[in-house]
Amino acid sequence: MYNPSDIHVTPMDFGKAAVTVLSVSKSFGDATVLQNINFSVDEDEIVVLLGASGSGKTTILRIIAGLEMPDSGMVILHGKNVTSLPARMRGTGVIFQSYALFPKMTVEENIAYGLRIRRRKRKDIKEAVNGLIELVHLEEHRKKYPSKLSGGQQQRVAIARALAYEPEVLLFDEPFGALDAQIRTRLRREIRTLLKQIKVPSIFITHDQEEALELGDRIAVLNKGRLEQIGTPYEVYNQPMTEHVATFLGSANILEGTIRERRFVVDKVSLSIDDNIVFKEDVPVKMVFRPEDVFLRRPENLIQKYQKLADGIVEEVSFVGAFERVTVKVDLPGKDSIIVIRPKTETSAFPLRPGMVVPIGLVRFRILGEPKRVSGKAA
Amino acid sequence: MSANLTGFRHTRGFDLVKPLSIGTMIAIMLPLILLPLASIFIFGTSNGLASFWAALRAPEAIFALKLSIVTSFWATVFNVLFGLFAAYVLSKYNFWGRNAAIVIISLPTAIPTAVAGFALLLLWGPYGTLSRIFGQENVPPLMFTAWAIILANVFVTFPLAFGVIKPVFDTMSHSLEEASATMGATRWQTFWHVTLPSLRGAIVGGALLTFARAVGEFGSTILVSGNLASRTQTAPLYIFAKFNEGQVEAANAIAIVLALFSFAIFSILFFARDWLETD
Repeated sequence: MYNPSDIHVTPMDFGKAAVTVLSVSKSFGDATVLQNINFSVDEDEIVVLLGASGSGKTTILRIIAGLEMPDSGMVILHGKNVTSLPARMRGTGVIFQSYALFPKMTVEENIAYGLRIRRRKRKDIKEAVNGLIELVHLEEHRKKYPSKLSGGQQQRVAIARALAYEPEVLLFDEPFGALDAQIRTRLRREIRTLLKQIKVPSIFITHDQEEALELGDRIAVLNKGRLEQIGTPYEVYNQPMTEHVATFLGSANILEGTIRERRFVVDKVSLSIDDNIVFKEDVPVKMVFRPEDVFLRRPENLIQKYQKLADGIVEEVSFVGAFERVTVKVDLPGKDSIIVIRPKTETSAFPLRPGMVVPIGLVRFRILGEPKRVSGKAA
Repeated sequence: MSANLTGFRHTRGFDLVKPLSIGTMIAIMLPLILLPLASIFIFGTSNGLASFWAALRAPEAIFALKLSIVTSFWATVFNVLFGLFAAYVLSKYNFWGRNAAIVIISLPTAIPTAVAGFALLLLWGPYGTLSRIFGQENVPPLMFTAWAIILANVFVTFPLAFGVIKPVFDTMSHSLEEASATMGATRWQTFWHVTLPSLRGAIVGGALLTFARAVGEFGSTILVSGNLASRTQTAPLYIFAKFNEGQVEAANAIAIVLALFSFAIFSILFFARDWLETD
């Protein structure tokens, strides 16, 4: 399988990207798992592959690690085409979902494994292991077996073990899946800090949108084997390109309408589009807005820009801790209620009760339409 | 009233059921297992330890014990290696006929040992299948030699090591091997450093089980070995032969050795279980 001549076959320049996945497709039998996946990860960058189970995110990770072969496409690690290299010659560091620590080796032995395989000098191995144990704060546990460690400690061993041989990229397969919610939040902050400190390009996969938003420098959203959007957490959250992206990252209200003269139009509603993208006119489009981008009061009280959508009747007000969730009855085509989230400052300044008639104002919305072909390149 | 009564019996009263059931269990075990075993020791030492020792030092007895140990050893080596290999192949690859292979490996458990010995004779024997196909002079004369005993031992203990190792293989996380591969290890390095250490307990356990079973094998060996004193007579065959000749003490001495040997192996399997499982 390994053919040395494969290494330099690519004449393309992949810039400074640490990892490039180039038109990768994969099917298992009749089931298409990945369709033409393209993305790259820069040096020092953390990219999160976000998707539901069955979206193909694990398969991408396994293809990069060399544990799975793509049907077509290429995997490039630091400018080197590794598509046909077996896993052991790629030098990736995989942190498996269950960590996959070697049960019959101590913490030290686990961390030393990659270096022992590479036949490094005993003294160098010892030095490297000491440094890594210090890095992940496992000094007191170095002689223990993995079964004696907590989930978070096991995870740190898994990371140290992968870092030992200076991997091309770190690949995290749902690393927080096995932990409970509180530890999960703390650990992902710790890991992000650690990764930013050691500057190793990393790819995480997760189905948890909150995790993705917090961890990633960029997020790639996958849906049924297709990469729907890749961008910063801000971009994918605030400027979703598809309905799936909009609804998968947080909740969203969606309206159907058309574009006419750079305005979103449906029924009596007409909102001017404040966007650089020029959309095709007179075709059905979807418009999406986040529950927190809605104001339920008159525009004169607001500093922010505001466009009125319609009037509505407050149907239900529920207190959800840090904020308040309001369901507002509206009379719009294909839509009879919208969800609004109000912060504490709003709820105390303008308390709402069911039955009240309120103006619905949008601070921000997003058109999920097909852009007009401007530069010859569809987004 | 009745609620009161049951409450009393369950909390403070003397519960008759417990000592009664334990007593019954021991009463059943006593004549069936414990007394026969005890008799070996009682009878074997009834004429004093000196005569026991003398019976044990008889050249034929020593030869029989040695032959049993050597043939069982090689059968164990083969079956552990094969069991490891077969378990690896069968849990790693899925192929047509995989289940059939598992059934065939496990089959000797269900075959009477006399049938196993007879089957070997019919294959390798001077008038057996191989001789008919290749001609009698071209078939190595394995029957009625130590080789025949090893073959018989291999046959009857074939599934034992496999049966212990296979489940451990099956439950072993596949991601351990994948992790090792991504860290740069070859298949062989992965097997040696990761897979094998996890199987250590199963290998030792399987080997002890195989060895214990092979040392005691009688039914198949009596058919294929020829039962020639000081040539192809194993320890169980020696017991049988000496008993038939009326030399009960000679038979008894070896019986004690075999019984002690089984206790030893069983104790290792039982008490060293924790050691075999962890680190």
